[in-house]
Amino acid sequence: MRKVIDYIVNSRFWRSIYRQSYPDTPRKRVMAVINSLALHLHPVRVPKRATRVSYTWGLGGLSIYAFVILTVTGVFLMFYYVPSVRDAYWSIFDLDTRVLAGQFVRNMHRWTAHIMVILVLLHMTRVFYTGSYKPPRDFNWVIGIVLLVLTFLLSFTGYLLPWDQLSYWAITVGAEMGGAAPVIGKHVNIALLGGFEIGQPTLIRWYTLHVIFLPLALIVVVSMHFWRVRKDGNISTPVYPIEAAPPELLEKLGKAKQVAEGDE
Amino acid sequence: MADERVARQEVEEVIEDPGERVHVWPHLVSIELVGALIYLFLLILAAILFKAPLTQIANPELTPNPAKAPWYFLGLQELLLHMHPALAGVIVPTAVLILLAAIPYIDTKRAGTGIWFYSPKGIPITIFSAIYTAVWIIALVLIDEYLPAGEGSFGIAPYLINLGLPPAVGYIAVPIALMIFIPWSLAMIVKRRWDPDTRELMICLYSFFLASFIVLTIIGTAFRGHGMELMWPWQMQPPTGV
Repeated sequence: MRKVIDYIVNSRFWRSIYRQSYPDTPRKRVMAVINSLALHLHPVRVPKRATRVSYTWGLGGLSIYAFVILTVTGVFLMFYYVPSVRDAYWSIFDLDTRVLAGQFVRNMHRWTAHIMVILVLLHMTRVFYTGSYKPPRDFNWVIGIVLLVLTFLLSFTGYLLPWDQLSYWAITVGAEMGGAAPVIGKHVNIALLGGFEIGQPTLIRWYTLHVIFLPLALIVVVSMHFWRVRKDGNISTPVYPIEAAPPELLEKLGKAKQVAEGDE
Repeated sequence: MADERVARQEVEEVIEDPGERVHVWPHLVSIELVGALIYLFLLILAAILFKAPLTQIANPELTPNPAKAPWYFLGLQELLLHMHPALAGVIVPTAVLILLAAIPYIDTKRAGTGIWFYSPKGIPITIFSAIYTAVWIIALVLIDEYLPAGEGSFGIAPYLINLGLPPAVGYIAVPIALMIFIPWSLAMIVKRRWDPDTRELMICLYSFFLASFIVLTIIGTAFRGHGMELMWPWQMQPPTGV
């Protein structure tokens, strides 16, 4: 068995994919993160406290994970879903009753959609109570609020698509709320519904928003969010005004500075 | 990075204490993998046990009773029962989003970054703010549901209309006054009791927002039955017309 594994991981093909052996030395561990598309979103090293689950609860990571699951299950649903007033309901009905694992995948999509809203709200709350919105992370907090809105919109536009009583009347309530806006209310209502009442234009409008526009918008905005997390110093760690810093920390940093200068 | 902002003295200069550093591989990647697997396991379990709803086909002629939005909008739908729709459906959520986004531009000091609840005062302020908010909201919902307004109607706005005041007073002026008075009075009490700095005041006000959202959402979800009337969760009948 050992020999088989050795043969595989030393084969030309395997090495062409991974380039290096299992990352068991500091250098290889650095390269493993730098060389991987998915992992390079991370810094190479992080403060140990940032890896404590009780600090972040992994909520931001789980939010984007929920989005990935929604994308994968959502594409599966798109194979079967027909965005027309006449067929939408029955395509979901068929999906639930006749398609292999259809109901199961739709369940996953539905529950993850709800969970993502909760995760994003909890992530915002975590960031707030740990003071992680403070400069230099101030604008990233604003981007986070935009992501919260996008999450609500994604969830809400998906709500209409099964075209059952639940979706139709939830959207009626929602559109009435939007329509109550002062001055522009009537225009908001027409824009939301694509007409004066919920019908085919509404469905196609919300379907397009749900499967293309909003996911793409979220990907763009969340990329900015991640980018800025990295540029603003990764996961937040405690800071001290220079006059209030603990002496041992100053000493440690002072030493580190001397070492760095000595290197040059 | 904040370097130029520090140089221009827009942002204070601070010393970060990252503590010990570890390699992302394997220390963080392993935690992420375990988290992802636990999440996936629980999701698969949920997808096996609970079916996504599919009610009757949409029927514009048949209004379900009650007709509810998805749960995360039920807090707003609850507000809709108590005030002018423009206020509940548009102005309040817009104001909330703008105020949330404004937090880092009001509380600009960097001290306290990376520490749960900031100071020894943080948790007491959070708990007090949440309870204060919850008590106010529950009391107001009950008063607005049961205050006799004459001619068989109930509620604060009908009561004021019965006194001869224009509807705008009960449906617009009073709700706005209350939505300003409750957080303002909360901030005043916290100021007297804890002598908070800006960050602690922010904790107080965010806790007000969070508690409002949670309490209103729970009331809208679990305590509103047929005709959107207030009732205990165990008295609720399944909605009709779905």
